[in-house]
Amino acid sequence: MSDATFRPATEETPLARRILIGLAATGLAILVLAPLVAVFVEALRVGIGAALESLTHKDAWAAIKLTLTIAAISVPLNAIFGVAAAWFITKFDFRGKAFLITLIDLPFSVSPVVAGLCIVLTFGANSAIGAWLVGNGYPIVFAMPGIILATMFVTFPFVARELIPVMIEQGRAEEEAALTLGAGGWRVFWTVTLPNIRWALLYGVLLCNARAMGEFGAVAVVSGKIRGETATIPTTIEMLYQEYLSVAAFTLAAVLALLALVTLVLKTLLELRHADQLAATHRH
Amino acid sequence: MHIEIDEISKQFGATAALHPVSLAIPSGALVALLGPSGSGKTTLLRILGGLEYPTSGRVLFDGQDATGLTVQQRRAGFVFQSYALFRHMTVFDNIAYGLNARPRATRPQKAEIARRVTKLLDLIQLPDIGARYPSQLSGGQRQRVALARALAIEPRMLLLDEPFGALDAKVRKELRQGLRDIHDTTGLTTVFVTHDQDEAMELADLVVVMSMGKIEQIGKPQDIRARPATPFVRDFISA
Amino acid sequence: MRPMLNRSPMPGLGLSMGITLTMLSLVVLIPIGALLLKGANYGLAGIWETVNRERVWSALFLSFRLSLIAALFNLVFGVLLAWVLVRYRFPGRRLLDAAVDLPFALPTAVAGISLTALYAPNGAFGALAAEIGWKIAYTQWGILIALIFVGLPFVARTVQPVIEEIEREVEEASATLGATRLHTIRHVILPMLLPAALTGFALALARAVGEYGSVIFIAGNIPLVTEIAPLLIIIQLEEFDYDSAAAIGIAMLLISFAMLLVINLIQVWSRRRIGHV
Repeated sequence: MSDATFRPATEETPLARRILIGLAATGLAILVLAPLVAVFVEALRVGIGAALESLTHKDAWAAIKLTLTIAAISVPLNAIFGVAAAWFITKFDFRGKAFLITLIDLPFSVSPVVAGLCIVLTFGANSAIGAWLVGNGYPIVFAMPGIILATMFVTFPFVARELIPVMIEQGRAEEEAALTLGAGGWRVFWTVTLPNIRWALLYGVLLCNARAMGEFGAVAVVSGKIRGETATIPTTIEMLYQEYLSVAAFTLAAVLALLALVTLVLKTLLELRHADQLAATHRH
Repeated sequence: MHIEIDEISKQFGATAALHPVSLAIPSGALVALLGPSGSGKTTLLRILGGLEYPTSGRVLFDGQDATGLTVQQRRAGFVFQSYALFRHMTVFDNIAYGLNARPRATRPQKAEIARRVTKLLDLIQLPDIGARYPSQLSGGQRQRVALARALAIEPRMLLLDEPFGALDAKVRKELRQGLRDIHDTTGLTTVFVTHDQDEAMELADLVVVMSMGKIEQIGKPQDIRARPATPFVRDFISA
Repeated sequence: MRPMLNRSPMPGLGLSMGITLTMLSLVVLIPIGALLLKGANYGLAGIWETVNRERVWSALFLSFRLSLIAALFNLVFGVLLAWVLVRYRFPGRRLLDAAVDLPFALPTAVAGISLTALYAPNGAFGALAAEIGWKIAYTQWGILIALIFVGLPFVARTVQPVIEEIEREVEEASATLGATRLHTIRHVILPMLLPAALTGFALALARAVGEYGSVIFIAGNIPLVTEIAPLLIIIQLEEFDYDSAAAIGIAMLLISFAMLLVINLIQVWSRRRIGHV
């Protein structure tokens, strides 16, 4: 019997393979790729000129600026949190560590709308803290700080979750070696730890950023959707869509979809090039 | 069962894992395939078990051409180096697996399966571990369970890939005797792969020394010791 | 009992602990606490009174029921995807692998309007369905499609690493014992994937129950028929009925906590049984 006709004991028949691959490809094409393509088709329905023009509208422009600002503030804050939490959790031994990790992961299992609701109840004008803040001229809800808080809530675990498994795997030996060689705390962090976790950090920041720019439910609750002031790209998409300004809505959507595609490409590149420095679940 | 390997070769892409090799294994023998890693011994064992197919040549079981038989049809009791126990099943279910996997027509009754598993647990001298999971066993116990699982299908031969490789020295010695005893009780033609010449010499009736995909020498342990056929054999067994 | 904190030569304890606990409290714990406090104020009876209104009840039930169906679909399809992506080599595999992540990366509002455009009666898929008299958008079918979309990656991504770890020898062992390929898949491979698949299932379910952005455009939002629980919270907030909003929010939070508990139990159970997650 020749090699060509031999099928190893651990493989399915060629027919079964073809059917399974076909099902997977068809399913993904209908469920995932079609919606992606539809965004661009709808945006370009009356030509690229109309699409580009809708972007120059002042509300669209204000939304883009607001979303970029929100991401520029909330993503670095979450990155700082993620690094600090990962350092605290992986470099020290204390009781309640598993519980702390569960708390950090909590936002992933809370509905974004409920997250927004929590922030409204805490900082809204009806609450004690909120009333005091509004009284002193620092409104949180229906203003930028609320949107930032809501964005941070829903993206809270991204960086920490990526760093913790990587730092557990890397252990403490290198940091300990640096300490015995006389390096101070910050020096150890900048010269030993950070180079070891930089790709994982970038990976986490990338996902965090994509979610931060695209967050809708939580922001819809806290922002009040004031046009030109507190309307982000996703909430502006909703308003345009409901006003039947389909091209404008889909053009803004296409901007976010492009961002998602760029994110996916960068993510795939990181997984290909730096798999050894990412959390084990991404290695395939 | 008498096994005959007739001019078997195996290519993996451009590299030859086995140059044509021929070997006759008498019924009921306990044979060691001895050699360093990359000598082709495991490939040969896997070809016997139906896990690889040869590029050319034939395998004969009791004179019948068995080359085209699938792994399921071969009924070779195979013990893997890592044991490959099913870790989501109890020891009992592991051993019963092959019987449960038979088509309904030839599958024994539940009570009969239980009887046979109990008997095998006695044979490997671990009568009380049926309800445990593999993760709760020591390395030596796992090896014996893997052996019992292979024996449960009433195999026509027993094939073992580095059966003692993952064990520490003391357990290794004990289990060598265990394998010898089981071989003597069942009378099964048994082939095991090892890179440890002590193990091969102590345990086997017949030792096949392999190197670079070729058979260097076939003989009784004392003959190989006394009269190494090639410089390779001399170096390898004196190492 | 072991000490609260073991002494360590590592620097940065105060700083890292300070940042971690402060930010965690400010961003997550205090807001969730505020919601729970609000709930404690009017007690279980008060929450029940709100939830027990027909409109609220049907919204919660709808969210949960459709999420369950979507997660079940994703359980089966996710295992299939993971298997195909890990085990088979074919042109376009990398593209499919990246596409699995798209629902994570694509903002929910974008997915929402695009799914609506596709499945509306004049959309590409909606028109096809309309020919056989099947209405998808603005019905529960539409919600189901959106929930399948957002939950799609979870099972595939939790199961993929487990399939990669299965030793070939285990499958070979099954074959040498006489098992057919189908028997091996059913009795050896699928049981090994079960804990990870269930974890992914619970994650997909939790995500779907709370989903808002991708659903509201395609749902039609007809009270008692296609109105989901998160939308009802927003409606209550817009009517400044904070108490009702909080009550529904707490009900949803409890569902999430229950789901987290289930995930943890699955992992404890599988660790005990097979010695790994």
